[in-house]
Amino acid sequence: MTIYAQSRSGGEGTHLLEEARRQLAVGELPGAIYHDPEIFELEMEKIFARAWVYLAHESEIPNAGDYVVRYIGRDSFILIRDENGNVRAHFNMCRHRGMQVCRSEMGNASHFRCPYHGWTYRNDGTLVGVPAGKEAYGDRLNKEAWGLIPIPRLDQYNGMIFGSLDPKAPSLDEWLGDMKWYLDLFTRRSAAGLEVIGAPHRWMIDADWKLGADNFVGDAYHTLMTHRSMVELGLAPRDPQFAMYGEHVHIPGKGHGLGMIGAPPNIPLPPFWGYPEEIVRSLKENYPSEAHVRVAEKLNFVHGTVFPNLSILNVMIGRDHVHPPTPMLTFRLWHPIAPGKMEVWSWFLVEKDAPEWFKEQSRLTYLRTFGTSGVFEQDDAEMWRGITRAAGGEMARRNRMNYQMGMDHLAPDPNWPGPGVAYPLDYAEANQRNFYALWLEMLEA
Amino acid sequence: MDALEILNFLHHEAHLLDAGKFNAWLELLTDDIRYRVPVRVTREREHGPGIIDHMSHYEEDRYSLEMRIKRLETEAAWAEDPPSRTRHFVTNVRVEPIDDRHVRVYSNLLLFRSRGDSPNFDLLSAERVDVLRRTDGGWKLAAREVVLDVSTVPTHNLAILF
Repeated sequence: MTIYAQSRSGGEGTHLLEEARRQLAVGELPGAIYHDPEIFELEMEKIFARAWVYLAHESEIPNAGDYVVRYIGRDSFILIRDENGNVRAHFNMCRHRGMQVCRSEMGNASHFRCPYHGWTYRNDGTLVGVPAGKEAYGDRLNKEAWGLIPIPRLDQYNGMIFGSLDPKAPSLDEWLGDMKWYLDLFTRRSAAGLEVIGAPHRWMIDADWKLGADNFVGDAYHTLMTHRSMVELGLAPRDPQFAMYGEHVHIPGKGHGLGMIGAPPNIPLPPFWGYPEEIVRSLKENYPSEAHVRVAEKLNFVHGTVFPNLSILNVMIGRDHVHPPTPMLTFRLWHPIAPGKMEVWSWFLVEKDAPEWFKEQSRLTYLRTFGTSGVFEQDDAEMWRGITRAAGGEMARRNRMNYQMGMDHLAPDPNWPGPGVAYPLDYAEANQRNFYALWLEMLEA
Repeated sequence: MDALEILNFLHHEAHLLDAGKFNAWLELLTDDIRYRVPVRVTREREHGPGIIDHMSHYEEDRYSLEMRIKRLETEAAWAEDPPSRTRHFVTNVRVEPIDDRHVRVYSNLLLFRSRGDSPNFDLLSAERVDVLRRTDGGWKLAAREVVLDVSTVPTHNLAILF
């Protein structure tokens, strides 16, 4: 019995991390990292309790009192615009006995009354009502001390609202670092900004959250096989070399990265993702630099991940096999639920001042290609599920995953006008290695 | 209006979907088919069923449904090859006349799905509100709205039709 106890105690997770450290140095990782209970607990404690995690877009709560309920790890927050227009995030747990004070997903409220004993909070979090305050508490309850607990850190960048559970976290500005330059490509196309249409798709996948982040941070390589059905129907690029006409960029030390693909030289795809002329005119005025315009002009497919679990996809794609491609933008969160289990949140966004016909076409393009029923995303889910199932066994601890693409033969692109480390093609796994380097560093800290 | 004809239509349709006869299923649709599965969110009772007007799990027309079926005919539709085992349980059918050619049909759907050798399965429960049209070729589905009984969808993708 002792032997069994020893082999399982002392932290298989810790052992896996040591192994991961050794392997990552040579571009490998143990397969078991995608489905390990101890790794998951460590991720909750060391990453999700410390990182800046995406919560919402400001357009989801435009008016005073508008709220959405969002999560960081296993904690739920009411993200609300208070009566003074300030965005706040309150921990969704009553200060008396811990009941969820808000049980709907979205709405508009001036106050939240806890259904258990009736403690009532104003939407700025202040405790304003305690039933029988005089009779039960002898008027001695210090209501000022018992407001809803604010999220330790809350900040936004170009309308993207992030939160952190760590009061000592670096600023969001520092956390995003040079990734901001790239976020500007998606979020600063117009002065009016982006808006979320409707509400996010939410669904469960029996798969590790990292597989979504890993896919979006740098994996153009999977397109031709995973999405071969869409290549055959003409919705994905036919040219097996398509990702050679791209750039593979990561932000060292921050975990963020993205791949930015343009048209092959002999294929006359329209510039700027094929956005309508109104938006192209507007982006030329609103982009913060001439380099942004130069980079965006060539783009058709862009995928990226903001460490740890926010991914962005901005692609020009068909809404069926008949109509010409339309650009669409989606933000998605790979929300960890349990070892080997995630919930995906997927938002569709569009420029607020885009023409209505375009918003509608772009929206239909999004929901038929990505999201719950998307003809691309449904095959991704199948892959990530299969990997996670395979990763749950003993042999997965011995199976080294290969992350060596482009490791020894690629030189950074000296002509790339943006920040970070860029390689002049999008067939590489430098972004993934950079992602896991921070993942490991945080888990080991 | 013949209620038995309508019932037979729905059962035949469910059979085609469960048997993977998707092209035959497409034949049951009108050219102007509207097929929608809206996103739902949790709201207080006073705000109604929480149906989101501008975002859907499906929002399809003839072209996009054909695209989804053509996809399944490729040899690379990994999400459904090997195929899910599904069973569409259609109950509580109510038929309302609309005009000479159209009826509105309400039905409850319990959709069972299992994949691979896993003994686990997913269940999706919904109400469907259909508009059927009488044509020279028999009844056809002209519109369907599927109201799911979930907010967060409990299956890994909607590579299946309701």
